[in-house]
Amino acid sequence: MKEPRLGVFICHCGGNISDVVDVEKVRQAVEGAPGVKVAQTHMFTCSEAAQQEMIRLIREHDLNGLVIASCSPRLHQETFRQMARRAGLNPYRYVQVNIREQCSWAHPHHPGEATRKAVALVKGGIARALRARSLEPIVIKTRPEAMVIGAGIAGLEAALGLSRMGIKVHLVEKEDRPGGLLRDRGPIFPTDQKGRELVEHLWREIHRDANIRTYFRSHLCGKEGVVGDFRLKICRDGEEKEIRAGAIVVATGARPHTPQPGEWGYGSEGVCTLYEFLLHLAEHPEEKPLFYRGRRVRRLVYVYCVGSREPAGEKARTYCSRYCCTAALYTACLVHSRWPEVTQVHLYRDIRSYGKYEKYYRRALGYGSVFVRYSPQSPPEIHPGGRLRVRVRDLLTAKQEIELEADLVCLVTGLEPVHSPELLEHLKLPVGKEGFFQEVHPKLRPVETMADGVFICGCAQGPRTAEESAASGLAAAAKVGALLLAGEVKREPLVAEVIEERCDGCGECVAACPYGALELSGDRVRVRESLCKGEGACVPVCPQEALQVRGYEHETIKALIDSLAEGLADA
Amino acid sequence: MIRLRPEWRRIFEARERDLDARRCFNCGTCTTLCPLGLKVLPREIFRYALLGAEEKLRENREAVYACLLCRLCEVNCPQGVKITEVIRLLRVYLAEEDLEVRP
Ligand SMILES: Cc1cc2nc3c(=O)[nH]c(=O)nc-3n(C[C@H](O)[C@H](O)[C@H](O)COP(=O)(O)OP(=O)(O)OC[C@H]3O[C@@H](n4cnc5c(N)ncnc54)[C@H](O)[C@@H]3O)c2cc1C
Ligand code: SF4
Ligand code: SF4
Ligand code: SF4
Ligand code: SF4
Repeated sequence: MKEPRLGVFICHCGGNISDVVDVEKVRQAVEGAPGVKVAQTHMFTCSEAAQQEMIRLIREHDLNGLVIASCSPRLHQETFRQMARRAGLNPYRYVQVNIREQCSWAHPHHPGEATRKAVALVKGGIARALRARSLEPIVIKTRPEAMVIGAGIAGLEAALGLSRMGIKVHLVEKEDRPGGLLRDRGPIFPTDQKGRELVEHLWREIHRDANIRTYFRSHLCGKEGVVGDFRLKICRDGEEKEIRAGAIVVATGARPHTPQPGEWGYGSEGVCTLYEFLLHLAEHPEEKPLFYRGRRVRRLVYVYCVGSREPAGEKARTYCSRYCCTAALYTACLVHSRWPEVTQVHLYRDIRSYGKYEKYYRRALGYGSVFVRYSPQSPPEIHPGGRLRVRVRDLLTAKQEIELEADLVCLVTGLEPVHSPELLEHLKLPVGKEGFFQEVHPKLRPVETMADGVFICGCAQGPRTAEESAASGLAAAAKVGALLLAGEVKREPLVAEVIEERCDGCGECVAACPYGALELSGDRVRVRESLCKGEGACVPVCPQEALQVRGYEHETIKALIDSLAEGLADA
Repeated sequence: MIRLRPEWRRIFEARERDLDARRCFNCGTCTTLCPLGLKVLPREIFRYALLGAEEKLRENREAVYACLLCRLCEVNCPQGVKITEVIRLLRVYLAEEDLEVRP
């Protein structure tokens, strides 16, 4: 190996670090250490000026290793790797040491100890940098083909978006028709277009599109391969079919909560869910007067928040379902305008017709809808019978009990997750505490998941309106496009490697890998690099110490531990 | 217990045009501002009217007549409810009942 020539840079982070850690003392402690050619402090290492200075020093001293003692690598590892690349230094010869979160912020009242710890950590970083190797990212060729699972509005929009970018789409739907929740629906907010027509419109486009193939009554039943080039299996009537795709969009939606019989009077005549009522209205749009299953409806009572915002408890649906206030208000406006003789009363907890949808609340007020606010501590009681009676304590008249008669009680139920065990099994999708699939970050990475190459959108992520479902479907398509159209995916090379001369082919490690990245080939184990996540489950299993993860080699880790132990002994 | 009759809202049926009390979204601005400081005036009274709770309305007739029609509430109502108009309407309603002149 070439003679080591390291640069060590220690950051003040304004005062975030230097108010506690004596950064100059840290610098002096490592200056002149074996292999260290340059040791400097900077006010803000991440600033462009400091980066320019470091680039100059790397070039001037022909540095072949770099240690920056600053914040968490989560924040700036990528920044400094890119800087190293700009300077002509392999990014994997750069080591970040965290003396902010781990020193100044953790021990603000013990500056002396914090400084000693910082010295020990920086020396550990030097030990790693001395052994760092030049590595190149693993490159995987992508195929311009994607699978979309679920043909609701989110999935339909995603499929069309992908096709427009020239990506071939395999659309997989478990039912025998597209459309999901909007399939048999009449007018929906905010466009007043019929759900049915919206679905038909999208479906016609998809049907015409030679780039999109649809598989009804089908579900995913196998996944192999890696992001950019998955080998997927779908099952239909017991038959399997293999499909290759570079990425997967999960758009499996949600389903309206249905109460247990007896809960909220559900199951008795004259009590239905909003979803059922809307399907009825879609089927009988012009019927006069208004009937529901043989009952003449003059008095219609809505009960909001059924199956949403439940008090905390095991399996409680504590979340707000978001779509339902607006959907109920919109329904009331529809009924007011078509059947003005119907009296409508809304038993609600809070009106959450957010944003532009506030107009439906105002409109319903204007039409004469009456609003009664109830508290979850005293939910409305629904007494079934020939004459349905509803009792509720009205918070707006100081909790006076009101009793009213109704012909129809419409339970405004929330949306709940659909269970798709096959997706959990094959895609290993993370699920949030509400039971919906979870994105990496709601704002920064809103349709990406922890599973590489698998994206989510629509109500599969959580309750939302059709507008929001469609938007996230298109967002997922854009993300897939960016991934697949680049032609290749680059992955971290920090994956497992086999030290050939040590491996005796016992195969103990193969079962230890949760990603199936290890395989026996002949009398040696082989790492399928594109599958390995570098998490190292295999390393301690190998009796020969023949496996190690790049960047965390046995020698590197030992040197790091020795250096830290030495640092502590000095202290 | 307030029992609502099947003929909810019939109180105003004939004068639908004037019933802008139904735009009230219960913020309570009016009651806070009212110099009379009566708990039910005018917001809660409107609720009784809207709900069709006639007995409650009768129980609170004093408050309906107590209103000064000063319009302090009205100019501050975020929903632009013509509060004093509604109060007048309620007075007419109660008076008609007293005089038994309601058709
Ligand atoms: C009563 C009610 C009224 C509403 N009113 C409105 C409104 O007026 N305006 C508005 O904007 N929004 C409204 N919404 C919300 C709107 O319906 C949803 O936001 C939207 O339909 C969700 O679309 P999606 O594609 O995410 O899911 P879905 O419509 O649920 O579609 C999911 C699809 O995936 C399929 N699927 C599920 N699991 C699998 C699997 N494992 N494998 C293969 N396929 C699978 C399903 O069969 C379905 O076809 C309303 C919702 C309800 C319940
Ligand atoms: S949107 Fe409205 S009805 Fe739906 S859960 Fe939220 S508050 Fe309740
Ligand atoms: S590091 Fe993890 S993912 Fe890679 S081969 Fe070892 S066990 Fe598998
Ligand atoms: S100020 Fe207007 S909206 Fe608010 S409670 Fe009074 S009448 Fe209703
Ligand atoms: S108009 Fe009547 S209700 Fe309104 S503030 Fe004056 S006295 Fe009170």
